[in-house]
Amino acid sequence: MVIFLKAGGELRTKLNPDVDFYTRRVETKEGQSLRDILIGIGINPAFVAFAYRDDKVTRLDYVPLDGEVITLQPPVSGG
Amino acid sequence: MRIKVNRDKCTGCRLCLQICAIEHFREINPKKAALRIEAKFPDPGKYRPFVCTQCGKCAEVCPEEAISRADSGAYIVDQDRCTNCGVCVPACPVGVVFQHPDHDFVIICNFCMLCTELCNTGAIVKWEKGASLEAKGV
Amino acid sequence: MANGLAGKTLRINLATGDIRRFPTDEALYRRWHGGRGITAKILYDEVPRDADPLGPKNIFIINAGIMSGCFIPAGSKVEFGAVSPLTNGPGDSNMGGHLGPALKFAGYDMVIFEDISPKPVYLFVDNDTVELRDATAYWGLKSLDCEKKLKEDLGEDFEIATIGPAGENGILFSCITHDFGRQAGRTGQGAVMGSKKLKAIAVRGNKSIQVHSLDSLRKQVTEIILRTQKHPNMVPWQKYGTAFFIQWSNANACIPAYNFQTTYYEDIDKIDGDQLVEKCLITHKACFGCWMNCGKYTKAVIPGKPEVHLEGPEYETGSLCGSNLGMKDINHVAYINWLLDNLGMDSMSGGGVIAFAMECFQRGLITEADIEGHTLKWGSVDDVEHFLDMVAYKRGIGDWFAGGSKRAAAKIGRGSEKFAMQAKGQEFSGYDGRWAPGMLLSYMTSDIGAHHNRSWTITVDMAEGRDTVEGRAKIVVYLQHIRPLFDTWCICRLFWGELDITPEEIVESLNHITGWGVSVAEVLRTSEMIWNLNRCHYIERNGGNGRSFDYPPARAWEDKIPSGPGMGKGLSLAQIDQMLDEYYAARGWDGKGNPTRALLEDLGLGYAADRLEKAGFLGDPIPGGIPPVRGEKYKPKAF
Repeated sequence: MVIFLKAGGELRTKLNPDVDFYTRRVETKEGQSLRDILIGIGINPAFVAFAYRDDKVTRLDYVPLDGEVITLQPPVSGG
Repeated sequence: MRIKVNRDKCTGCRLCLQICAIEHFREINPKKAALRIEAKFPDPGKYRPFVCTQCGKCAEVCPEEAISRADSGAYIVDQDRCTNCGVCVPACPVGVVFQHPDHDFVIICNFCMLCTELCNTGAIVKWEKGASLEAKGV
Repeated sequence: MANGLAGKTLRINLATGDIRRFPTDEALYRRWHGGRGITAKILYDEVPRDADPLGPKNIFIINAGIMSGCFIPAGSKVEFGAVSPLTNGPGDSNMGGHLGPALKFAGYDMVIFEDISPKPVYLFVDNDTVELRDATAYWGLKSLDCEKKLKEDLGEDFEIATIGPAGENGILFSCITHDFGRQAGRTGQGAVMGSKKLKAIAVRGNKSIQVHSLDSLRKQVTEIILRTQKHPNMVPWQKYGTAFFIQWSNANACIPAYNFQTTYYEDIDKIDGDQLVEKCLITHKACFGCWMNCGKYTKAVIPGKPEVHLEGPEYETGSLCGSNLGMKDINHVAYINWLLDNLGMDSMSGGGVIAFAMECFQRGLITEADIEGHTLKWGSVDDVEHFLDMVAYKRGIGDWFAGGSKRAAAKIGRGSEKFAMQAKGQEFSGYDGRWAPGMLLSYMTSDIGAHHNRSWTITVDMAEGRDTVEGRAKIVVYLQHIRPLFDTWCICRLFWGELDITPEEIVESLNHITGWGVSVAEVLRTSEMIWNLNRCHYIERNGGNGRSFDYPPARAWEDKIPSGPGMGKGLSLAQIDQMLDEYYAARGWDGKGNPTRALLEDLGLGYAADRLEKAGFLGDPIPGGIPPVRGEKYKPKAF
């Protein structure tokens, strides 16, 4: 299974984009949550405020579908 | 080419006003823009852009014949002919003919479309003639 | 002037009604960069050290900065500055919206108010017409109501800023409200306006702002606009603003709950960003020149109460008036936000003061008899409404809380000082620092009392170790230099800081506007200079070694977090002292927290060293000398 993760800022650096400036292609296993996927590619989930897909906030226990494009939102550095 | 207004998407940022004045006057001055944003707060709490609809009323009423329709559909002010009498200002049903003390001619949108390129919310977008009726949201 | 400045400065004596206009001092801007830089300088030079902040000798400044209004992303801010009645130190507060640009389009960079008006007035500015007009008809009106009436009376195209009854009555954490929902909240600038009987400012202008190189600026800004339109984080920003942060803060044990008694809130799902957007949103609202439109114009609908419209709650108000007060309905949080906005009180300090009062009630330190027969229970919006009315009009013990939680604790005693969550008299922002040591240090050392705007380190604390304090100080120092630059230039840090725009690009914009040709290193030094001037000012006014003012309330080290993911966590007093030691060393101050002559002279502030020496608080020379560069940019080594 393949999903696409997008991020900006310091998260983007850690993401190591390979599709375009913001996007990385990630191979995943069936049933893996976003949290598991992030840990698998070396990103501490604590540095992701939430995921964003389908115009909605998504928690990190969400299990992505094949081909999904998901944005990772870093926590704002003070509101 | 026209400008479609999706009024519920306007957030009042006024980028459109800024780029309009910069493009046509090389000045940072929203009061020289050829469109306007109306803010109605606290009730209902919304913004609404008003842009030229190319209705031609300004040209109709101009006593100097200083406003003429270009092939693009935009109404262009002949700045030398215009006497800045201001008759066109209240004639505009949308209120987008402007006067400014720095200039002796009126300001009318010439549809350069830069505002639509910078608008980030989709509040003002390009619209081609012949597009579906649903798309015409002015 | 082709440097981003409008060209004229106004100095107004409110006692005599004398209005002087003179050309803006470009050299002053070149050295102090505008905004909070210039307010720091003027306050330091002109306000006597023993002046009552609510008395005639305090000075109230409105400064629109250089970059505000200049076709720059988020070029929307305006700074207010006066000696703060809340902290008794140099105070400044900024807000977005449209007032700063409007002032510049009218031709003015700054307005300086002296003395006190004999009767209520408002400042009327319409291009070259500048008048102090009778505000008797507006005095007593709530902020949002007053703005509405002024727009009806003067015209919709006037930009208005007002104070509410809280500012009129001298509530020390009063704010200034504008654009039906933007506030300059911190440091009690609204109280200073009220003390001067200055009810409002109304501005309209149609002049142009000249910049050094419009073509270069336009090219750079257009590229930034098109680039950030496609930034993956832009759409969530536009949709939720900072309210999206509520869930994360809770999950990571940062959010204040029940007056910072704990840092995890069980009912967070009832007050988060999704709730705000689904239940309350009317429109997304932007400041001048910003397409991030983080503002959320909303409605609060509560059965039995009229529907009210407001801007917010954003993260700070959402947490400090949400989980911090035990609220279980987003409409209630929004309503409290509206109450504070309309009465004219800072929603951050407001949330902190209400929470402190609620804990006092919880502990029996204040009773129903004290609250006119009402209770002050966690989660009760009605109790909050009644309490705020008592505070805004200084009824009964409302007067105790009118000075903020620190002064209220001094009145109440019986150990309540421990949980008045403030530093230097100003209430904490919406993050607990017991498991984020850099954040706690940020509150302790902020020049205007506790405020995250100066330095925010939660992700740094997470990366470097939430249970350790080593190495945090020099990062806080760097952040305290770079973040306030935005308040100096009067642009919004949110846009520039969250969308992969580099400091070099920001400085490039500054140079296109001003023609100064400055570097990032140079602007950081300017910011450091401002910081140190404020430190000297604070020490002189308060007559003690700097360190004596830098401690947090005792909850920070006595109460471990009792629940949630942070359970059991907390710092020791020894760790707090260690952070302060490292901080002072990183700053080039002595161990007592006082700036040294070597540092001040390095920054061109020799005169401040002379004054500090005369006051008896000049820092002792540091063996080995001051660090050549103060503050270190954080380089994330690992997530």
